[in-house]
Amino acid sequence: EKWAATRAKYPPTTLALQHFDATYGVQLGQQWPSVRVALLSERKYGALFNNFSHDAALADLEALGCRDFIRDIDAEAQPCPEQESKVVAEGESICVSMKKSDADGQQLSPLQLSPHIKCLVFPRGDITRFKPAKPDMLGLLGYYLMDAASVLPCLALNVQEGHNVLDLCAAPGGKSLALLQSQCIGFLCVNDSSVSRTTRLKKVLHSYVPKQLLTDEKLRVTSFDGTKWGEIERNTFDRVLVDVPCTTDRHSLMEDDNNIFSKIRTGERRKLPQLQAELLLAGIQAACPGGEIVYSTCTLSQNQNMSVVEQAVHSARENHGIHLQVVDLQPFTHMFRKTFNFAPDLPVGEMVIPHLTANFGPIYMCKLRRLT
Amino acid sequence: LCSSTSLHHELSSPSKKPDTELSLRIFLDMGFTDTQAEQLHDTVSKLRGGSAAKHVLSTLTALFALGLNPSSVLKLLDKCPELYSVKEPQLQQRIDNLRKLGLGEGSIQRVVAYYPQILTVPVKTVKTAVGFLREKCLFTVQQVTDILRDSPAVLTENLGQLEYKFQYVYFRMGVKQGEMVKSRLFRFTLDEVRHRHSFLERRGLYQTPDKKGQTVILNPKLDSILSVDQNTFLTDVALASAEEYDVFKRLMAREWHEQEQEGGRIEAD
Ligand SMILES: C[S@@+](CC[C@H](N)C(=O)[O-])C[C@H]1O[C@@H](n2cnc3c(N)ncnc32)[C@H](O)[C@@H]1O
Repeated sequence: EKWAATRAKYPPTTLALQHFDATYGVQLGQQWPSVRVALLSERKYGALFNNFSHDAALADLEALGCRDFIRDIDAEAQPCPEQESKVVAEGESICVSMKKSDADGQQLSPLQLSPHIKCLVFPRGDITRFKPAKPDMLGLLGYYLMDAASVLPCLALNVQEGHNVLDLCAAPGGKSLALLQSQCIGFLCVNDSSVSRTTRLKKVLHSYVPKQLLTDEKLRVTSFDGTKWGEIERNTFDRVLVDVPCTTDRHSLMEDDNNIFSKIRTGERRKLPQLQAELLLAGIQAACPGGEIVYSTCTLSQNQNMSVVEQAVHSARENHGIHLQVVDLQPFTHMFRKTFNFAPDLPVGEMVIPHLTANFGPIYMCKLRRLT
Repeated sequence: LCSSTSLHHELSSPSKKPDTELSLRIFLDMGFTDTQAEQLHDTVSKLRGGSAAKHVLSTLTALFALGLNPSSVLKLLDKCPELYSVKEPQLQQRIDNLRKLGLGEGSIQRVVAYYPQILTVPVKTVKTAVGFLREKCLFTVQQVTDILRDSPAVLTENLGQLEYKFQYVYFRMGVKQGEMVKSRLFRFTLDEVRHRHSFLERRGLYQTPDKKGQTVILNPKLDSILSVDQNTFLTDVALASAEEYDVFKRLMAREWHEQEQEGGRIEAD
């Protein structure tokens, strides 16, 4: 009795695990046990270095054995110069036939990775934890701790000088902060429908970014329902990040509080793919023609990842006449395989899958380019 | 048995004299080879204080009486030099007690050779441990005998630790006493057991049975989890790489250490 006494019969974390066993067991096959044990064990963090702080954090972290994973790349894994893209064909689903991209200059190469975004991690197999960041003399913190894999969607967004950028679901702000580190954004619009979470987001920004960079000309923080964005501000942004609410697999396995697998939230959970598709579609509409959109989640679920992308791409074309191209991120992710474990051969998008030796993720991302 | 008893009597008088008189001669007479006798003589003369050396002969006699040969006697004394200084009546009492607990001639001989420390454990401690195994863990008399034979070190383990290990395997892993004995559970440290079990559990390959003793998946037998080396465990049971398991063990060590610090240990009631 001692071991079982006080637990509720099916706490949300148990329900989440049962759900994942059923779906990911099939989806990932033999890989699932390794992903499962990683999800249930302590995760790894990355320290997003804050360029605006005067703390000596970088040197300190490097002295501890950390390295900036963005620069610590596989020499052989440079992306090929002629980048290929997956093109959306007519019909139900996304075709995986390869076609050369004609949009020159849009190609991802290591040179185009923002030179300013730095994220430090301990090497594979090293389980050392980061200490909390310290404030410098102006009170700005030296680094922000987040899943290092969460930096990938920001890098993949490939923000260029002067870009007008929208972060549609931004709170608590880790990815906004990573985008700001690129120091080349013309205007950043951060939005999150939750007012309490946007309040937290503002606090985060103020602990990391100097006031003069958070002025109305540079930044706007809003609390709109992101699904409505297409009605508010269409064809506007060069870059849009759509980091949607999802089943947050890791969190759902660890915390019973506020868990999306609790019985009372079943309806909300079932509606997630629909909400995600609406948010992505709104993000697509908010982007300008030629603009790029990155969709990301922190779940392994196919229904919330690939299917959502397919649905949104389909609906953009059918209902709004917007044609999109799925940008092949494989050359990009290939560079970082020293640090992360990527799911092999996804038909659409790329996914970091957790593994004990590199316990980051799950992070799914898919990049779309608006052709019209 | 008779002959060894007489040997015992014959030799008990020199043992009362100062240890310097323990000559090579006596050791040779007992059947040790020249080198063995010298080695023994050497060791004994280095023993501190007369009281230590004075029990040498009675100890040797008792060990021979168990049917051990000179070279295994020497080997086990090497492993456990404390035995040189155990007083004769105590030694005899301890041996008798083990016999009473069901260890027959062959068994007792093997146990002593494998784990000579067993003869340094006071009878009272043995009784407490056996009582614990019988009453708290509900092992049968025969099972207790098997445990003593296969895992004699159980007698020197801290009872709190032992209880925790038993409860972990019984409640958390849902394993019954018979399986525990068969897998020689008490040969393994709590950490070894927990590492392997929680690794399997988190991989989805082991489940705690419900109240009716049922699980959705088929759990591997405790025996197949414990009685194999790490490589076999990883390739045959856990289906995982050594790197994963290595990281996992380090993570667990930290997790458990922190739980203990928080006082989150399961209390025994
Ligand atoms: C995965 S989190 C975003 C994490 C954030 N991008 C970061 O890196 O820190 C998803 C967010 O979406 C927000 N959200 C949920 N529904 C929304 C909606 N309809 N419109 C905009 N934001 C929404 C949630 O409040 C939550 O903060």
